[in-house]
Amino acid sequence: MLELQGLTRRYGHVVALDDLSFTVRDGQMFGFVGPNGAGKTTTMRIVLGVLEPDRGEVRWRGRPVDAETRRRFGYMPEERGLYPKMRVRDQLEYFARLHGLSAGDAERAAGYWIERLGVAGRAGDRVEQLSLGNQQRVQLAAALVHNPEVLVLDEPFSGLDPVGVDVLAEVLAGRAADGIPVIFSSHQLELVERLCEAVAIINHGRLVAAGTVEELRSAGGERRYQVEVAGAGADWVDGLEGVTVVEKQDGRVVVAVAGDEQRVLDAARAAGRVTLFSAVQPSLAQLFRQAVQA
Amino acid sequence: MSTQRMRTVDGIRLTARRELVERTRRDRSFVISTLVTLGIVAAIIFVPKLLGSDDPTEFDVGLAGPASQPLGQSLTAQAETAGIRINLQQPASPAEAEAAVRDGKLDLAVIDGRELVAEAEPNEQLGLLAQAASGAARAQQTLQSAGVPPAEIQAALAPPPLPVRSLEPVDEDARSKRTIATVAVFLLYGQLIGYCFAVAMGVVEEKSTRVVEVLLAAVRPVQLLAGKIIGIGLVGLIQLAIIGVIGLVIAVAANAITLPPDAAGTIGSVLLWFLLGYAFYSSMFAVAGAIVSRQEELQNTATPLNLLMIASFFIAFSSSVTGADSTLARVSSFLPPVAPLVMPLRIAGGDAATWEIGLSLAIMLVSIVAVVLLAARLYEGAILRTGARVKLGDAWRSGRRQPAAGRA
Repeated sequence: MLELQGLTRRYGHVVALDDLSFTVRDGQMFGFVGPNGAGKTTTMRIVLGVLEPDRGEVRWRGRPVDAETRRRFGYMPEERGLYPKMRVRDQLEYFARLHGLSAGDAERAAGYWIERLGVAGRAGDRVEQLSLGNQQRVQLAAALVHNPEVLVLDEPFSGLDPVGVDVLAEVLAGRAADGIPVIFSSHQLELVERLCEAVAIINHGRLVAAGTVEELRSAGGERRYQVEVAGAGADWVDGLEGVTVVEKQDGRVVVAVAGDEQRVLDAARAAGRVTLFSAVQPSLAQLFRQAVQA
Repeated sequence: MSTQRMRTVDGIRLTARRELVERTRRDRSFVISTLVTLGIVAAIIFVPKLLGSDDPTEFDVGLAGPASQPLGQSLTAQAETAGIRINLQQPASPAEAEAAVRDGKLDLAVIDGRELVAEAEPNEQLGLLAQAASGAARAQQTLQSAGVPPAEIQAALAPPPLPVRSLEPVDEDARSKRTIATVAVFLLYGQLIGYCFAVAMGVVEEKSTRVVEVLLAAVRPVQLLAGKIIGIGLVGLIQLAIIGVIGLVIAVAANAITLPPDAAGTIGSVLLWFLLGYAFYSSMFAVAGAIVSRQEELQNTATPLNLLMIASFFIAFSSSVTGADSTLARVSSFLPPVAPLVMPLRIAGGDAATWEIGLSLAIMLVSIVAVVLLAARLYEGAILRTGARVKLGDAWRSGRRQPAAGRA
């Protein structure tokens, strides 16, 4: 379990992070979202020890993280970092060794990830000779090559083609299935919603919402339903207790319900033949907009 | 697959090894720069020979008119004792003699025993010899007309040479050592400026490509800095050793110098002082790289350091011209920026006393420690700040914020 506790960081007078706390469980795919400048990159840099917080700490398996522990973390920074003139295989072996692998293990691991991420044909090329998409794959391999206990990836999907997105998603899901916490930031909220078990939304350096997407949806204690009653118009809904009408359109009504939704169904059936009664799932993007605008 | 616990030295060793491998095996510019430097060394050795600027040992002298003949005999005799060969010619007339000088067929013409004609300034040694010969010829004539017997004239005008007693032992190898040391100062300067700049470029490269962020997630800044400086320094040292050995072989084969018995000592001291100079300058160049974000900006921040190095080079070079025993050379041997360039010269020339070497080394080592500590902190404070150029004061203050050994 990776715990971020009360992280605070200022740059001069700008507060980049303000008492940020959340927890990522083992084996969890965790989406980290927020508008530009919200503090995502600062948070990830602090987790990796690249930056030191003014206050707060990061704990892994119940203990404060030190340099030795961090060496077993895998990191992909937002601004990609590779030696442009170094060859792909050499580079991956070097990173593996920096993270403490023996020469033999580093060679095997580099070979495995080059193969797995589909850059085997370019293993002997200099990184600068690769396309941006392939450089991104190498960057990901650099984060994975030492078989890390925790994966922290800053915008790993940006710049990948759909095939690359699928490969990466599959690899990350595989790591999570092995029990590794995988935390990544992204602006592609549909992707986050599809892949992640839990998310944290931050804005202006503060945590706005955290939990599973389901928890975020039911955060206000209200759920939404859309109902259609054949030939009954929309007036049957008026006057129902604990029900707010969100939208009325022709014969269809969207309502926010606190408590038992069956009462709404009963009222609808009393009005006529119910042709549609379904829960409305706000997308993560909608939740995000609500949370950030609030 | 398991990760091993890493010691500080492991991180340094790995980063140093990367620099060494990437720069020697994977980069053609190492081979190219080695060959270019060897070419320059060969030029320094061969060009004086080709231009004939070594003192000539043979002259063509024309004697015009009978009155010039006695001077000719005297000149040949005196030149012989000085180890110089004079080829006497007999131009038919003064005008012909002058034409021959103008064409370069004669180095000097004597006109009727009264006048010396040269194309421009005569060779200094030849001029002195001719003047002395003229004096001797005049004295001989005077003594002859006074009726002094020829044997006495001979004894008076050509006495056996006075013996010379040297107060200090003569170092027959001094010239060779001086040549080696002068070439060495050039090499040292080239290597220092080249490899220190390589450190600065390497730091900027890691910063501008952001790879430093990936690296610093695994190693601490001071390990990265130490590994880079050591790795690049080793490359420079290897190149210096290659050039030094091949250069010596060329020089000896071309008879430019005779190898003094302690040539190994001279080369050893050059390598030692290269290391000291590199240790002193390289960490400062690393800071020059760490405070900027793009390679184009590096010129600005590295310029003060370059100027310091160029000034040191000129002090060292001028002291090699004025003699390594001058006050300038003595004083500058104790100034850390200059000492690495001056001391190998003075040591090679045998001009540095043991206490001077010891004191200079001590000052050097202390200042290296101070500079490296300062530079490490500035580097740590600046390496992750992108964007505008980092002020040294800001770098100093934030140098403490970065995670240090054993701290979370």
